[in-house]
Amino acid sequence: MQEKLIQIEQEPPRGDWRDPHVEFHKGAMCYSAAAKNLTYLGLPNPRTWQPTDSNWKLPPDWKKIILAGMKERLKKYRSFRLFMDICVRCGACADKCQFYLGSADPKNMPVARAELMRSIYRRYFTLTGRIFGSLAGGRELTEDVIKEWYSYYYQCTECRRCSVYCPYGIDTAEITMMGRELLTLIGCNINWVMEPVANCYRTGNHLGIQPHGFKDSIDFAANEASEITGLKIEAPINRKGAEVLFVMPSADYFATPHYYTLLGYLMLFHQIGLDYTVSAYASEGGNFGFFASHELMKRLNAKIYDEAKRLGVKWILGGECGHMWRVLHQYMDTMNGPADFLEVPVSPFTGTVFENARSTKMVHICEFTADLIHHGKLKLDPSRNDHWRVTYHDSCNPARGMGLLEEPRYILHQVSRRFHEMPENTIREQTFCCGSGAGLGTDENLEVRLRGGFPRANAVRYVKQKHGVNLLTCICAIDKATLPTLLEYWVPGVEVGGVHELVGNALVMTGEKERTTDLRGEPLASAALPASGEMEAVHA
Amino acid sequence: MSALYSLLAVLALVAAGLEGGRTGAGRDALTLIVPYAAFTIFLAGFCVRVLRWAWAPVPFHIPTTCGQQKSLPWIRQAKVDNPSSKWGVLARMAAEILLFRSLFRNNRARMAEKRLILGESKFLWLGALAFHWALLLILLRHLRLFIQPVPAWVNGLERLDGFLQIGAPQLYISDVILLAALAYLLYRRFRDPAVRYISLFTDYFALFLLLAIAVSGVLMRYFVRVDVLSVKQFALSLAAFRPVDLRALSPLFLAHLLLVCTLAAYLPFSKLMHMGGIFLSPTRNLANDSRRKRHINPWNYPVKKHTYAEWEEEFHDKLVAAGIPLEDEDAGKAHTD
Amino acid sequence: MSAEQAILQRWIERTLKSYPDGMAGFLGEERDPFRNPVGHTLRENLTTLLQELMGTMDQKRVAPALDALVRMRAVQNFSPAEAVRFVFGLRQAVFEVSGAVPDSLATRIDELALMAFDQYMSCREQIFELRAKEIRRRAQYAAFEEGEEP
Repeated sequence: MQEKLIQIEQEPPRGDWRDPHVEFHKGAMCYSAAAKNLTYLGLPNPRTWQPTDSNWKLPPDWKKIILAGMKERLKKYRSFRLFMDICVRCGACADKCQFYLGSADPKNMPVARAELMRSIYRRYFTLTGRIFGSLAGGRELTEDVIKEWYSYYYQCTECRRCSVYCPYGIDTAEITMMGRELLTLIGCNINWVMEPVANCYRTGNHLGIQPHGFKDSIDFAANEASEITGLKIEAPINRKGAEVLFVMPSADYFATPHYYTLLGYLMLFHQIGLDYTVSAYASEGGNFGFFASHELMKRLNAKIYDEAKRLGVKWILGGECGHMWRVLHQYMDTMNGPADFLEVPVSPFTGTVFENARSTKMVHICEFTADLIHHGKLKLDPSRNDHWRVTYHDSCNPARGMGLLEEPRYILHQVSRRFHEMPENTIREQTFCCGSGAGLGTDENLEVRLRGGFPRANAVRYVKQKHGVNLLTCICAIDKATLPTLLEYWVPGVEVGGVHELVGNALVMTGEKERTTDLRGEPLASAALPASGEMEAVHA
Repeated sequence: MSALYSLLAVLALVAAGLEGGRTGAGRDALTLIVPYAAFTIFLAGFCVRVLRWAWAPVPFHIPTTCGQQKSLPWIRQAKVDNPSSKWGVLARMAAEILLFRSLFRNNRARMAEKRLILGESKFLWLGALAFHWALLLILLRHLRLFIQPVPAWVNGLERLDGFLQIGAPQLYISDVILLAALAYLLYRRFRDPAVRYISLFTDYFALFLLLAIAVSGVLMRYFVRVDVLSVKQFALSLAAFRPVDLRALSPLFLAHLLLVCTLAAYLPFSKLMHMGGIFLSPTRNLANDSRRKRHINPWNYPVKKHTYAEWEEEFHDKLVAAGIPLEDEDAGKAHTD
Repeated sequence: MSAEQAILQRWIERTLKSYPDGMAGFLGEERDPFRNPVGHTLRENLTTLLQELMGTMDQKRVAPALDALVRMRAVQNFSPAEAVRFVFGLRQAVFEVSGAVPDSLATRIDELALMAFDQYMSCREQIFELRAKEIRRRAQYAAFEEGEEP
């Protein structure tokens, strides 16, 4: 009898995906957006509520709003209409999503995530769906569907891994973006997205750091860089007439390990003598608006060009950040351009014309630095990074929304001597997301993040065991913020750092004092290291 | 459940085709009304669907990049997987449409746990590719029924298709491949739990319908021979819009015809429209040059911004205290004095 | 197939059943450790545990294997009981294959279950610590901000 009881309990509910009921577990959901943030941004339906409440206090005509919103977006976005229509449910995407792989929840298959929306599309916007209903794959739009959307569209990091494998290029990120836009229309947002958006709109950066705080942090970093090198390193703010405006994600000047990357930038700029400025008004490269709606993305992004124009710079340089670069690369020029008040970016040191940024006039720091190194403009001592065995995690957006794959690798090969790639199907365009992007990187959601990050951590563990890797480098602020927690849980002993942190370590600066520690204050390993002849041939 | 319903639906169609020819009115419907109606619905429906996509703008430049971008001249670009030119896009689309590049990406055979992985996914690519190419070949072969004299290239295709020279009538490879591929795709839909979980009525219906068409066609060619001459006469008369009703048309042929007409009429309303949609997919058919050339959004509209002036006003005192330069230095001085 | 292999097979199958419908196939069949980390973790570590339960119970092998399993199941929306229930699945697997569970093995399984529970608790504690750490970090920014307010 008892045997049987156990047996029954172990059987999972044999559900149909069309049943929209979801349960919100504490630790595996994001809190709702605080009313003050929606109010500040002028967004609909600000109120006090939580996803665990049974009554979500939706506006009375919420159904009409959602359907009208869908109709409008089907007209405005070919991607949306097309991706609603052409999926054949072949399942090629199913095992490509890190949330599905880590959680084993079938609604986390990209195709199922999209079907949550498609079923509504079919029911209300196609002839067959209107006539045949569920037989044609349609579903009624109910409050449960809204709750399901909230749960699953906030369990997607818009990383686009599935779209690499889809035979029609269906991009779940597009569908998630539409889902989140629709949810925004009825005030169903998460706070971890909306608070940074409201902060950024007001002060210029996600953390809500006001101009004087911004200056303090930048000065602090400049002082620290000066102390490490014995040089007088400065970082100009809001300086008119500089050649270059440098924009980075705010985490770089306010969180670790991002901070070491900032030290790396400052040292690099000092060494080459770049004529640049940072801005306290456009003090954020990242764009959490991207995680809520196209309109919010545009409202935040506009500051960068506006500031470049005001300061009269010639072109813009951008720091290490993932989704920031998706926005800069694929959206900025279209939304807030043309940037005809800027000049085509030219490296003042190598004369290289960045043809690929001819119109947007914004260059990625890895493109800039790789070009410097290639032209022999930097003196590098890679032995200063010998205490690290390095691997590189391709951040989703630069990999799949841009194709920035070799520039950071080239730099890493020049600044470190012990570099090991993770397995082929977990890097480059096939890279696994950290599981915390697109606004999911908050503590209340930690269990979802730990699941989503499991496939990535699994690959990191492999290189740790095989090659003794102890540093995972990346070029994304969200990676740097969330991977340390993730790795501490899954693969203790692997640290997270930025590419330019290692550049800063290896950079031999004119007139600098002898370095005994790296940028983290850890002693250098160079003295204890075997002669270079013994080095493994890992750079092949 | 949806699999069963769709099987029943297809069987009902088969029965209607087999039995429909017994009465005069039924024959008229099957040979006159259904083909023209289906053809009209197909043409109109297909055009409407494609135009609806085409009319929807592509507001943002969102290719999915699957290789190295074109940036610095000394870094080798993946010209097809991350194209920066029209030719690159053309090559990427060709690889996608003709070879199912993305599906193939799945299938890097690799060693793991000391054994070679040739996963399910490899078979998906193979099955899909085999099915689509065989279907195309069979469609082209059918042209011989609609064109008189038969074009030389159609004859050539037939010879190619029958190169095994087995049996009389000669066995077409495409028939074998089509049946095998369809059977595999159906088997996969049932067997793979993840795919079964997401499969809808329409997924099974399309497969059963295609399978029924293929089986009826194969039966007519190899087993229950039909009078090909009268079929051709009928097809030519249809194509010339002067349809004749021929007593010689067998029930099996009528069933085949009804199934094909159903497919044609159903296609514009179904996922089978992917054949048109793939050409328009914005993650595949755009060059990754959004920083080099400005992409225009036709409905770009001005948004509410927090301007520098507003920002400076809000934080004026803090800016001054921190020594951050103001836009108008004099105004700043006035404030502090 | 040897009895031990048969038991392992059944144990893995039982454990897979705790995942939602539609997942067991993929988790059980896809052998690529990077495409299917959950299935790979289950298979590899259940194998190790069975070897040790049948063998010498070498703590150096048992502990990491149990840790890998429990660590994963601690974040997969299972209740505490569900998360460690897989240990008892072995008892049933042995029963099905051999018709009886030897007392010595039964004792070991019970011990393993208790270890699994300890491990589960320590994983959950770690999760809360990690959460607390992140919250603290956030609070620091806030404190900085407020401290600077005039």
